[in-house]
Amino acid sequence: MFDLLFVLGLIATGYIIGTWAERRHYRSIERREREFIRLPAVTLKKLDAGSPPVESAVMVCGSAVVSVDYFKRILASLRNIFGGTVKSYESLIDRARREAVLRMKASAEGTSLILNVRIETSAIGRYANKKGVASIEALAYGTAVTFKREGAAFHTG
Amino acid sequence: MKYTPRLPQRNVNVTPGSPLRDFLVLLLGLTAILVGLYFLLGLAVNLIVPWLPMDIENRLAAPIVRRVVVKKDVPGQEAEVQRLLDYLQTECTDLPYRFTIHVSDNPHVNALALPGGNIVVFSGLLDKLKSENELTFVLAHEMGHYAHRDHLKGLGRALVFMTLSAVVFGSDNPLANFLSHGLYVTELNFSRDQETAADEYALVALNCTYGHVSGAGEFLRKIDEGDGGGNGGHYFSSHPETSERIAHLKDFAKMNGLDAGPLAPLPADFNL
Repeated sequence: MFDLLFVLGLIATGYIIGTWAERRHYRSIERREREFIRLPAVTLKKLDAGSPPVESAVMVCGSAVVSVDYFKRILASLRNIFGGTVKSYESLIDRARREAVLRMKASAEGTSLILNVRIETSAIGRYANKKGVASIEALAYGTAVTFKREGAAFHTG
Repeated sequence: MKYTPRLPQRNVNVTPGSPLRDFLVLLLGLTAILVGLYFLLGLAVNLIVPWLPMDIENRLAAPIVRRVVVKKDVPGQEAEVQRLLDYLQTECTDLPYRFTIHVSDNPHVNALALPGGNIVVFSGLLDKLKSENELTFVLAHEMGHYAHRDHLKGLGRALVFMTLSAVVFGSDNPLANFLSHGLYVTELNFSRDQETAADEYALVALNCTYGHVSGAGEFLRKIDEGDGGGNGGHYFSSHPETSERIAHLKDFAKMNGLDAGPLAPLPADFNL
C-alpha cells in the first residue's frame, strides 16, 4: 500500500513541480530569444557574395541537458502502449534545443552572425539505472562570423 | 539577402492540450482494456479448468502448499481430522484426489482448499467447533469445492491477474508487488454460487456420514454470531449471507428428505 502511495506521490510531485519548472524555463527562453534577436543564427554554409569582408570566424557551441519528470515519464510509458504523439516529451526536446541555441548565441556575443548552425540531440542517463530516467542533451554549434567595420577596414587596408 | 529579425508567432513543435487530460484518457482506456481482458481470460479459465489433468494439478500444488502451510502444527488434531476426511472420501464421496489435511496455528476462523487435495484448517476454526458433525460439514464443504474444482478457478484468475500486471507494469514494480500480496486472498475467494453449490454438496455428504444433517446450520450460525462476518475474514466474507445460506440449506434438506438428528461429540483428545 505504501509503495502505491509513494508512486502516486511521485506522479503528483512530478506534475506540479515539473509544470512549474517548465513554465519558468519557457519564460526565460522567450525573454532571452528577444534579447538575442539581433544576432542571426542561420543554416547557410556560405556568405552572400555581397556581404562585408570577414574579420574573424570561430566555432561556437552551446549545449543543454534537460531531464524528464516522473509524470512525463509515466505519461510517455502509457503512450508507448497505444502509440501516437508523445506530447510529454515534445516540450522537453523543444526546450533543450532552444536553450542550446541560446547558449550558443551567448558564447558568440559581439559577433555579427552564426553560420552553418546544426543541432544534435542525444539521450543520456537512459541506462544509469534500470528505471531508465532519461535526460536529453541538445548540442547546437555553428561558425560565428564577425564582419570588419567600415572604419576598421580602412585602417587595416 | 536581407535578414529580418522576428520571433515565431507560435510554437509548432509542441502539441497544445493538457497533459493531465491525456494522462486520464490513457489511464482509463488501459484500465478498461485490462478489466475486459481479465474477465475474458477468467471465463476461459472456467472453461479450461475442468479438463486440467490431475498430475498437472499435483505439480502446481507443491509450491503453493509450501508457502501457506507452516509445519509446526498439532499432530493429534491433524490425525483426527485426517481420519474424518478419509472416512468421507472412502464412504461418501468419490473424488479423484488424495486428500491431505493441514492444521495451521492461526486465529482466523477459516479453512482453505489448496490445489492437489491439500485442505488447510486454521486452529481458530477448530476452537469454535462443538461437535464432530460440524467438522464433517466444514470438510465436506471444502471437498465440494474440489468436486467443482473451484479452487483451480480462483487460482487461474489470480494467474491471469499476475500475468496482466507483469505485462503492463513489468515483473518487478511496486504495483505488481503490492498486488501479489493480495494474491493469497484472491486465489481463495469463491463466488456465492460456488459457495452454495459446495454447501449442498456438504449437506449430502453429511447425511451420508451420520444419516442426518444436524450440525450444518449450527456451525453457520456460530460463524455469524462469533464474527459478524468480520474476523471470519478472508474466507467467510465471500460466503453468501449466513441467514440466506441457512435458509437455503433448510429448503435443500426438505426437498431431498434430509432430517435432523443427534450430534456426535468431538474426538476425546481434540480440544487440548
